[in-house]
Amino acid sequence: MATKKTILRCPTCRAVVTTKDTDFPFCSDHCRQIDLGKWASGAYRISSPILDPEVLEGLDSTQRPGNDDE
Amino acid sequence: MSTKELTTSPNLPLSMPDDPIAPAAAQAGGQSSGSYTSDNIKVLEGLEAVRLRPAMYIGSTGEMGLHHLVYEVVDNSVDEALAGYAKRIEVTIHVDNSITVTDDGRGIPVDLKTLDNGEKMPAVQVVLTKLHAGGKFDSSTYKVSGGLHGVGVSCVNALSEAFDVEIWRDGHTYEQDYARGNPISTLRQTGTSKKRGTKVHFLPDKSIFTATEYNYDTLAQRLRELAFLNKGLEISLSDERTTDAKTGEAKRTDFKYAGGIAEFIKHLNKGKQILHDKPIVMEGFRDGVDMEIALQYNDSYSETVFTFANNINTADGGSHLSGFRTALTRTINSAGQQLGLFKDVKENLSGDDVREGMVAVISVKLPQPQFEGQTKGKLNSDIAGTVQALVNEKLGMFLEQNPPIAKKIINKAIEAARAREAARKARDLTRRKGALDGGGLPGKLADCSERNPERCELYLVEGESAGGTAKQGRDRRFQAILPLKGKILNVEKARYDKMLGHEEIRAMITALGCGIGKDDFDPSKLRYSKIILMTDADVDGSHIRTLLLTFFFRHMTELIKRGNVYIAQPPLYRIKKGKSEQYIKDDREFVKVMVKRASDGMIVRYGDGTQRIDGPALTKFMGNLNDYLGFFDKVNKRLRNEEVTTLLASHELIKRADFEGVDGKAPLKLDAIHQALESIAKKYQFKAVNAPLYDEEHQTWSVSYNDSQGAPRKIDWTLASSPEYRQMMSKHVQIKDALEPPFIVEYAGKNVTPDPEETEGETVGEVEAGKPAPKRSGRVSQEPVKKATPRELFEYVVDQGRREYQVSRYKGLGEMTAPQLWETTMDPERRTLLSVKLEDIAETETIFTTLMGEDVEARRKFIEDNALDVKNLDI
Repeated sequence: MATKKTILRCPTCRAVVTTKDTDFPFCSDHCRQIDLGKWASGAYRISSPILDPEVLEGLDSTQRPGNDDE
Repeated sequence: MSTKELTTSPNLPLSMPDDPIAPAAAQAGGQSSGSYTSDNIKVLEGLEAVRLRPAMYIGSTGEMGLHHLVYEVVDNSVDEALAGYAKRIEVTIHVDNSITVTDDGRGIPVDLKTLDNGEKMPAVQVVLTKLHAGGKFDSSTYKVSGGLHGVGVSCVNALSEAFDVEIWRDGHTYEQDYARGNPISTLRQTGTSKKRGTKVHFLPDKSIFTATEYNYDTLAQRLRELAFLNKGLEISLSDERTTDAKTGEAKRTDFKYAGGIAEFIKHLNKGKQILHDKPIVMEGFRDGVDMEIALQYNDSYSETVFTFANNINTADGGSHLSGFRTALTRTINSAGQQLGLFKDVKENLSGDDVREGMVAVISVKLPQPQFEGQTKGKLNSDIAGTVQALVNEKLGMFLEQNPPIAKKIINKAIEAARAREAARKARDLTRRKGALDGGGLPGKLADCSERNPERCELYLVEGESAGGTAKQGRDRRFQAILPLKGKILNVEKARYDKMLGHEEIRAMITALGCGIGKDDFDPSKLRYSKIILMTDADVDGSHIRTLLLTFFFRHMTELIKRGNVYIAQPPLYRIKKGKSEQYIKDDREFVKVMVKRASDGMIVRYGDGTQRIDGPALTKFMGNLNDYLGFFDKVNKRLRNEEVTTLLASHELIKRADFEGVDGKAPLKLDAIHQALESIAKKYQFKAVNAPLYDEEHQTWSVSYNDSQGAPRKIDWTLASSPEYRQMMSKHVQIKDALEPPFIVEYAGKNVTPDPEETEGETVGEVEAGKPAPKRSGRVSQEPVKKATPRELFEYVVDQGRREYQVSRYKGLGEMTAPQLWETTMDPERRTLLSVKLEDIAETETIFTTLMGEDVEARRKFIEDNALDVKNLDI
């Protein structure tokens, strides 16, 4: 997943940003505040279904060499 | 110019306008020649008072008052325009800083007016010599009137060294001159003219004003404002003090705006990113109040509002502004409700929210406005309800009829509300809980004793139990531990959420000591030179790691740039043989070790059994086979049939040419695949196998079939050009020669020397970690074993290696003992740390964005395709 030339976007408003911007990775302090507020209020969650068979299948394949019950 | 329409006065004979001059002159002459009465004195006293206390009438004798004189005169002309008679006003600044104002209105009446004392005087002279005389003081003449504070043009006269008026009216030209408020000539008819209007020229009295220079921009700004406020009125400003070097023409600006205040809005929004193309305009006449309101949103976060009452800039607002604001908040809230945009919003939008990014101009015109305040910049007349009613109705209607614009505006206000809330919560993150907190380090932090940040490390450890182990295992001199709880919440059945709670982030920021946010963040205050993220080597661990990395990337970017952030590498396996232990960091290495161990002395025969592979070649082959099978599984996710996937590999469909065909015929390889598919169709209960098909669009051929569920599966260039397919084929090339089942696994006879000490059991001998084990023994079966597929072969070989060890797979950090954790992951002498680089983290940002994205389906697919492959998150 080498994507060195990825276009970077402001996490809040999706405006294109460059690493040289003073508010990088944000476009502005306003957008930074909004994002920080989201962290502060627990808005960022990675949610996963537990019983998705596909997920379980994926799990199995990454653990192919052995089972875990030793 | 502004004055009462004197021709309607019952005291005057209707014939007067025809011949006003003689008696007027006689009157004026009489005045100056000695028929001195107390009534005369009153008039003079009035203007004398202005000269004595000019600031009371025009605000100041400084720059402001000086310019005020022009506004006073111009306002009278604007009144003529408001009444519908004047269309043009010209203002000229002369080289001596005298001013000429010319309009094309009706001209100040020149007929005789009978004063209270019975004396008769030309109306124009009354206007110019009596305070509070003029049409603006009679609402039947001008329904509404500007004029700054209604002192009238007589003040200007009183405060001018010279004041000349010229009137064109009824085909004649009339002139009269004044000095310091006193007529120095009678009103005289000087000629004929087809023009209509009034010209006033005045030179402010230098003995009164401390400022004498007119400022072009100050005048231009006010005149432009007047032009905006009076739709269609043309106002020009010329400055004879500044002439063009080439043409010799005076500097000049013309102001004329057919769009009125809507154009004012556009002017104010120039250069800004606007939210909707056209300003929203609301107009109406109610309860005697003429209202014009325009507004437009831009993408900024500030509010810009200009309010006017009778053309006067009410800088301090007043009832018109408060009525507007009340209605704006109410209307936007109710429109938001109706459009169902408030699902995620807890409270109503506040006034501040709905005004963020708004540019508005409110102009009201009403009879006898009341002002208050030192600068008289606030409208006091009670018209709040009238303005409110108009805005409620008109804005409500507009939003109803223009849902796309309404949505943009409302969403912007929602965004504003969120931002306000976010800012509040962000502030909370660094707010000290109490004054007695002292240093205020979080209670959960197990700090190190060293105080020099250069030598200090902070481990951010997921989970309380792992945190406990780390606290025991660490070197407390320089290693600090902060356990973090990655909350798990059952939002709905069968879902779990990984997140960093408010307290976790707060604790982290406090422990790091470098603050947060644009103003507070200071990397030089960082209390540790290494921040090490230590999470489980599983999916949940990778999620927490993604969260942490994203947080650091977004809000402590500099720490990543400086190389302060690291990822710990806890082992995934511990393998044990006798007393010797070895830690293995990932699956790949695990397979390598198992295969190496198993392949010693192993011979694998393939194909017809005459060819064999063994020794280092076998180890290498098994490594490649492992990779191949990994990619094979990914490709197989698309086809869901291992035999079909194998077909593609064995037919070596690689290049685009393999799909192109010749002379309108399908390529041979696809034909072969098609036949092979037909031959296995029955076995797998394929619903259909379709003949090769030419795709015009891509100019390639494809073969497709419908599996037992009827789902269409396609073998085409899109599949063959996918990364996983290409990777699979690149591995396939390296192992294809030996990829011929059946596989026979046997052992070189000479190596099979059973070790007398270890005749049974799986655990054998003592090995030093990393060194080849002694020759095998205790193998359950020495008989050749036959395996039908590469996968079976692979699994058998790995399993053979596995039998030699006691294998522990660490599901979490908590499964390790404190010494184990120290030894494998925390001891600076032995651990491996991954340094987090900015370019790597940009990738995490992409992953994070997808994980956080609105698109549930994309997220599900992403997690399925990537997140489980820990390697991808293991940056």
